Amino acid sequence: MALLTPYSKVPELNTATVLLVENEEELQSKLANALVQYEKDFNVNVRLARKLPLPVENKETRPRIDLIVFLVNLLSERSLQSVESSLAHLHSDCFLGKVCFLVTDARCGSHTQERLVSVRKLAAAHQCPVLCAEHRTVDGVNAAAVRLLNILKVSAGMSPIATTALYLSSLTRCSVTSDLEED
Amino acid sequence: MDTQATSVLNRIIRRIPNKNIENLLKKWSCLSADQLRALDYTRPKWMIVEHVISFCEENRLNLKHITTLEMIYHIENPDQGTWHACQLAEAQGKSVLFTHFIFKEQFKAHLHGVIRHISIKMKKHEDEAIWIRIAWGDNFSKPNHLKPTYVVHHLHTSYVFISNLMAKHKIFLCPALVIATKHGSIKDGHLSTRSLTAMRDLPLRRYQQVFPNAHSRIPQERNTLSSHPCIGKEHGDHEEMRHQMSCEAFGHSPSPKLETAVYSLETRYRGKGNQTLSDRKEFFRGVVRFSSSSLLDSLRHCVASGMAEGPVTPLLSAITQRGRNYFVITDKGPGVSSQASAQRP
Repeated sequence: MALLTPYSKVPELNTATVLLVENEEELQSKLANALVQYEKDFNVNVRLARKLPLPVENKETRPRIDLIVFLVNLLSERSLQSVESSLAHLHSDCFLGKVCFLVTDARCGSHTQERLVSVRKLAAAHQCPVLCAEHRTVDGVNAAAVRLLNILKVSAGMSPIATTALYLSSLTRCSVTSDLEED
Repeated sequence: MDTQATSVLNRIIRRIPNKNIENLLKKWSCLSADQLRALDYTRPKWMIVEHVISFCEENRLNLKHITTLEMIYHIENPDQGTWHACQLAEAQGKSVLFTHFIFKEQFKAHLHGVIRHISIKMKKHEDEAIWIRIAWGDNFSKPNHLKPTYVVHHLHTSYVFISNLMAKHKIFLCPALVIATKHGSIKDGHLSTRSLTAMRDLPLRRYQQVFPNAHSRIPQERNTLSSHPCIGKEHGDHEEMRHQMSCEAFGHSPSPKLETAVYSLETRYRGKGNQTLSDRKEFFRGVVRFSSSSLLDSLRHCVASGMAEGPVTPLLSAITQRGRNYFVITDKGPGVSSQASAQRP
């Protein structure tokens, strides 16, 4: 099974690439535009996918991926299931600071709370951060893009202070508190 | 003018917004230019109705003229009420001179011969469609103009679209249509919508169809947002393929505006869980109903966005392929769990 590995390609100069994985393909295009427009200091490439594994045909042309973001819509059960099955296609090296979860609609109803707990448990098991975003307004999308860019900068090694992705992820990783565990 | 005429006129004028009344009256051309100028469309409706009635009485107009007005109104606004499609079958050798004139004469002659009191009005529209308005009476009472039936037939096609027909009049209308169009029989088309344009476009294939093609893909009207050079799509090919598949099944937008599709099930229950239901010999009758403000657009979006997996099931693509929206699904043979089949009325 071909796994997506983080270090198999050479990085490009002054460029960072982020892969947005979303089952519904709605938020990712808006987020991609915001990401590309906001960052002025370096080039941002965005790849959009529905799920992993990525098509083999694109392997040669695909640049090195610095950050993989899984967009989960908490209103849909299928979204979470698709992310869980995609995780199996990632090399374990990716989880050292190169994977991040972004959830939307975390405040809309009771099923979303249960799914948010499952996402957080999943993220804690893989030592990745979870971001909550509001995707229905332009401001919400821009705010999510700015946060992602901050993480991307570190993952791609662009941060001026010598912060590595591994160091950042150990600070930002999701933790599941004991009262959530007892659910 | 008698009471029936005034009530028909009243009903027409009340239904239209004030700004459209002027155009309608101009098309009608039964009121003089001075009278049209004298009408003030900013007044409340009841005043406009009274003015128009007084002008009609001045010009000595009668029920015939009012029904012409109603017909013009329906031709301009065809998407009202519920229309049903019927299909003519067994076309007999048509004479070379089959024109709308012959159709008209034969249709009227047949119906007048069968019912004593009936009022028929026919009008040929520019796109080869004949509009017929029928007010039914019977052997003893005058025609009722408050519940007319409208029939639209496109010459040289085998479809007839009918609105507001009562069951007891169907036995008169159907033979008249069959004889007048020189066919052998007429059967139910299993298609009903509120919009006449959709009803006409779907079976006559007047929408933008997409045919299977190995090479060129139709351009998608995706948001132009994703044309930034730094944004790349991993599954771009899959997306295009899904889009192509959905447009082949349901047509390119804009597609005919159907509101519902109904599948009547006469199959046996095949679930594993429920003992009492699956052992029965008789059918598990159910009805599956899809509703939407524009059904074909919704189905196309479901397939194109990947919510429904392709290839498109023939049960859904039969809506466009066969031009109907009512299906009866029966069990046929072992192994094949369901197959769409036509139902004779």
